[in-house]
Amino acid sequence: MVGLSLGETHFIQGGIAQDLRCDGRKRLTYRPISVETGVIPQTNGSARVRMGATDVIASVKAELGKPSLLQPDKGKVSIYVDCSSTAEPAFEGRGGDELAAELSNALQRCLLGGKSGAGAGIDLSSLIVVEGKICWDLYIDGLVVSSDGNLLDALGAAIKAALSNTGIPRVQVAAGTSNDEHPEVDVSDEEFLQFDTSRVPVIVTLTKVGRHYIVDATSEEESQMSSAVSISVNRQGHICGITKRGGVGLDPSIILDMISVAKHVSEQLINKLDSEIASAEAEEES
Amino acid sequence: MAGKGGSTPATYSPSPTTDKKKPSLFNEDLARPDGRSFHQCRPAFFRTGAVNAASGSAYAEVGNTKVIVSVFGPRESKKAMMYSDIGRLNCNVSFTTFATPIRGQGSDHKEYSSMLHKALEGAIILETFPKTTVDVFALVLESSGSDLPVVISCASLALADAGIMMYDLVASVSVSCFNKNLVIDPVLEEENGQDGSLMITCMPSRYEITQLTVTGEWSTPKINEGMQLCLDACAKLAKIMRSCLKEAVSDSQE
Repeated sequence: MVGLSLGETHFIQGGIAQDLRCDGRKRLTYRPISVETGVIPQTNGSARVRMGATDVIASVKAELGKPSLLQPDKGKVSIYVDCSSTAEPAFEGRGGDELAAELSNALQRCLLGGKSGAGAGIDLSSLIVVEGKICWDLYIDGLVVSSDGNLLDALGAAIKAALSNTGIPRVQVAAGTSNDEHPEVDVSDEEFLQFDTSRVPVIVTLTKVGRHYIVDATSEEESQMSSAVSISVNRQGHICGITKRGGVGLDPSIILDMISVAKHVSEQLINKLDSEIASAEAEEES
Repeated sequence: MAGKGGSTPATYSPSPTTDKKKPSLFNEDLARPDGRSFHQCRPAFFRTGAVNAASGSAYAEVGNTKVIVSVFGPRESKKAMMYSDIGRLNCNVSFTTFATPIRGQGSDHKEYSSMLHKALEGAIILETFPKTTVDVFALVLESSGSDLPVVISCASLALADAGIMMYDLVASVSVSCFNKNLVIDPVLEEENGQDGSLMITCMPSRYEITQLTVTGEWSTPKINEGMQLCLDACAKLAKIMRSCLKEAVSDSQE
């Protein structure tokens, strides 16, 4: 992306100060969001989310694996993000690795909860097949297809939609196996379990430009930001994760203001997203 | 350095606010593994000038967490980098193979480098060294919980030792959440079982937060309480860091 001129900079900042952005939005308005589910049939679950010109795909693959030693009664979830160079020339080679790592860490922080498993958006206990021996490993992959700012919110929304679309095969454990041996499992081809995604949070990123903050910043607005705070809020109104980007310091009271605003904005976003996911699922089944 | 005879490391503890209700300290089940109260930090020890070859360096011990940080520069940027009106900051955090209870486990913390970078770049006056790069290398010698906050605090001391101009020292503290109890400066056992965590990096004199990360599920009043707890502890930690710098100056004058 070519840098902005001084005139463009002043125009963007002046517009935000007057609550009128370049595309006519107000400070706390999202760009149009569209959701498609089931876009990649060979995955267990997939979704594509467009937020303005930002386009991301999320997929979920489930594999049988071994639980970790620390939590033998819980399955495992990993989140990876790939910034494809089709999205932006700067992502060529290893250029996108740093951003991808930052995004995947932020998503893990926001969606997977604390180390004890409490507060995770997914009930990890439901992923256990045989405690201590067999569990489902979920691999969530995010792909950035087109980048025009606010990748974290789009990826968070796509992962929520992909989890709604996910079907996990039902597993039968063979009876009569000795406790010492590795259990034999029969994976069903027809029966699938679905996730309860009502507790999966959404991510709202508030970007500070000048003396105001905006939601859903475009690339140009992000280039003018002093800092940004991404807040993950679930339907119950609890904060599930906070990540701050940009080096400039923020006053604690401003951060608390941002948390209040994020909770307010997330109510609309969750309702909008849930209705989009429901209609996408209905469309896919027809 | 830990074996330095006669000098006990300074201890800091956030002053209790009157309107803050403390969890019961008399319940045996709620005792912390090392006997601290919920809102008490571990003893902190800082020393600058630990590495001779570096422009600036610092060594930190907080409880059993031991960290050493070196700063090189400002020095010429690599030619592949484009021209920049302001200075560049490059951070790298690594663990020794013997730092963790199980050998070689420390390589799982790849995100620490970028988090250290974000914590420090807001505090450094980058305009004072255009076109050049400052490298910060942090090595965790022993990992015993709250590693990243110790790395950040130690790195800001190392930058001060190198003479890099900064708005303020950077102090960092983290809090763990267990059910409904907040525990400050968690040790490794507490970190492994926590329901959520909150880490704040701030410039205490300016009262600005440069880095904030939250994991797990929190209600807003809980975040409020955790933030206040951390900010109080950061202010006390910064005093210890300042006295360490003053001590180093007076030592060199003798």
